[in-house]
Amino acid sequence: MDRRERYRRITNFQEADRVPIDMGSHVASIHRFTYRKLLDHLQDPELKGKEEIVLDRMVQNVIPDEKVLQRYGIDFRWIAPNWIDMSDVRDDIYRDMWGIEWQYMLDAYSVYSSPLSGDDVTLDSIERHPWPDPEDPRLVEGLSERAEHYYKNTDYVLVGDSIKGGILTKALQIRGYEYMFADLANNLEFAEALMDKLLDVYKAFWSSFLKAVGPYIQTVYFTDDIGGQSSMMISPDTFRTLVQPRIGALIDHIKSEADVKFMYHTDGTVTPVVEDIIKMGVDILNPIQTSALGMDTNVLKELYHGRLCFHGAIDVQKMLPFESVEGVRYDVARRLYDLGRGGGYILAPCHNIGSDVPVKNMEAMYEAAHELGQYPLDLEHILKPEHLRKPTQEEIAAQAAPAKRQRRPRKGRSDA
Amino acid sequence: MSRESEILDELYDHTIDGERDPVVRLTKEGIELGMDPGVILFDSLIPALEEVGAMFEEGTYFVPEMLIAAQAMAGAMDELKPLLLNSGIKPIGTFVMGTVKGDIHDIGKNLCNIMLEGAGFTVVDLGVNVAEETFVEAIKEHKPQAVGLSAFLTTTMPMFIPTIDAIKKAGLRDDLLIWVGGAPVTQEYCEHVGADGYAPNASVLVRELKAMMGIAA
Repeated sequence: MDRRERYRRITNFQEADRVPIDMGSHVASIHRFTYRKLLDHLQDPELKGKEEIVLDRMVQNVIPDEKVLQRYGIDFRWIAPNWIDMSDVRDDIYRDMWGIEWQYMLDAYSVYSSPLSGDDVTLDSIERHPWPDPEDPRLVEGLSERAEHYYKNTDYVLVGDSIKGGILTKALQIRGYEYMFADLANNLEFAEALMDKLLDVYKAFWSSFLKAVGPYIQTVYFTDDIGGQSSMMISPDTFRTLVQPRIGALIDHIKSEADVKFMYHTDGTVTPVVEDIIKMGVDILNPIQTSALGMDTNVLKELYHGRLCFHGAIDVQKMLPFESVEGVRYDVARRLYDLGRGGGYILAPCHNIGSDVPVKNMEAMYEAAHELGQYPLDLEHILKPEHLRKPTQEEIAAQAAPAKRQRRPRKGRSDA
Repeated sequence: MSRESEILDELYDHTIDGERDPVVRLTKEGIELGMDPGVILFDSLIPALEEVGAMFEEGTYFVPEMLIAAQAMAGAMDELKPLLLNSGIKPIGTFVMGTVKGDIHDIGKNLCNIMLEGAGFTVVDLGVNVAEETFVEAIKEHKPQAVGLSAFLTTTMPMFIPTIDAIKKAGLRDDLLIWVGGAPVTQEYCEHVGADGYAPNASVLVRELKAMMGIAA
């Protein structure tokens, strides 16, 4: 089946010939250490010694070679904007176009300094900050030709990746995580002004990007993390009042300029706001971090099938680095069963295939995805009874935000 | 109601609300009125932070609310610390804390530090990207009851193992409680690396560490 037709059916909640399979975005490609191990393992003379191209310097992942993508039957090709205005500050530190500095540690970069960090920062500081020009032609140079080539000569599903970061994520990095989190609680005027500025930058970027690739791509991708490991990073109310309206405005803007599905990425647990995510115009939610509390694929499917597609769900945090090959295969079967029935699911790793993932597990994931993802799905004989049942009322109720309570009155040691 | 008990109530509310300025002002007012700094700490600030921790665990509070409450508490602690030292209130223990080598994430660690200080510990914060030998040196110097290793990434949490090994090799493992934490860390991983305790967040750390040390809540 034509890949774009497969994708069209799946995202319209119909079954196709098989579940589509993905890899290659800024946040879900392969770490370069693993990629080297992979090339050693593949023993392909054409790939041997070929220089790897870094996709995102921060996380140190690569643009997988076309041969690698073909080997794993990847149905998607990602069109990412070019990185511009990066400069080396020190051997282990670089500065990006936003003015954020990143320091290398172990196998990736983390935020080293944030340009709008500090107690003396004001609204004026936002205005005075040297913002990148979102319409800089270098950001999209060559992308139109690439997208047109893929569009006309292949049947791959084409996705436009964003300039990396999101409205909240970029605000956290530019302001510094601790400052911005505090601003969200006690300095709203500043927090909103910073996010408004970022919304303007992202809108202008997407106009310019869509002018280049809009006619060829089927989907756009936007990352803005709001989830943490065991709860959201910000409250559902903060998300609804401060973040959702801005991402929603960006989605409206993008959809008014191109006929595309909108794929939204947030790591972590986001169960209390999935309805809000649907309301803001998201078609596909990525990556369904199953290792985070409450991200239960069985329940998500039950509650949102027919209204929201799922992309990801193959965990790179607690599963892929540590499981046996058989364990990986079982997990793939489980996610295919939970999310794939009736369409609506694209299988992919939840995040980059990190330097701690054994090559054999990565291979097992894609092998199992192809073998077990054929429609009609035939997985009942593989899965244990506990993974074949409908979610219980308790499991469904656990998805909702907990009820708020009044604070307890003060009770001191001397009152005890 | 006396002004003193009003202050305790107001401090409690403003700390939970994360309002640093009134918290500092009320702390100063209490000190000027001659209130016992131990009473301000144990009858208002610590109960406030315990309530914040409970609200975080229950999902009413999130990182921003918890962070500003901790910052407000830290403002009060700046005023109280010198007095607490003079008044002979002994710290309940010393805690050496650091984010392991290769990792520079520190929000979770910093929240733990403030909660631990608030609970009466002396906290020695070694910062981020802390090498094994730095932990060892700090343990030798400060003789803590407990040490906390923090890691935010699956790729950095394996650093718990050489860090704990180095502590063992230096002969410092006995009588030392080693706690681990950070987003990807689990109870199973804690047991795997041979640590004594794992806490998913700052308030659990304080509560369970105190329980492990036999200190009443």
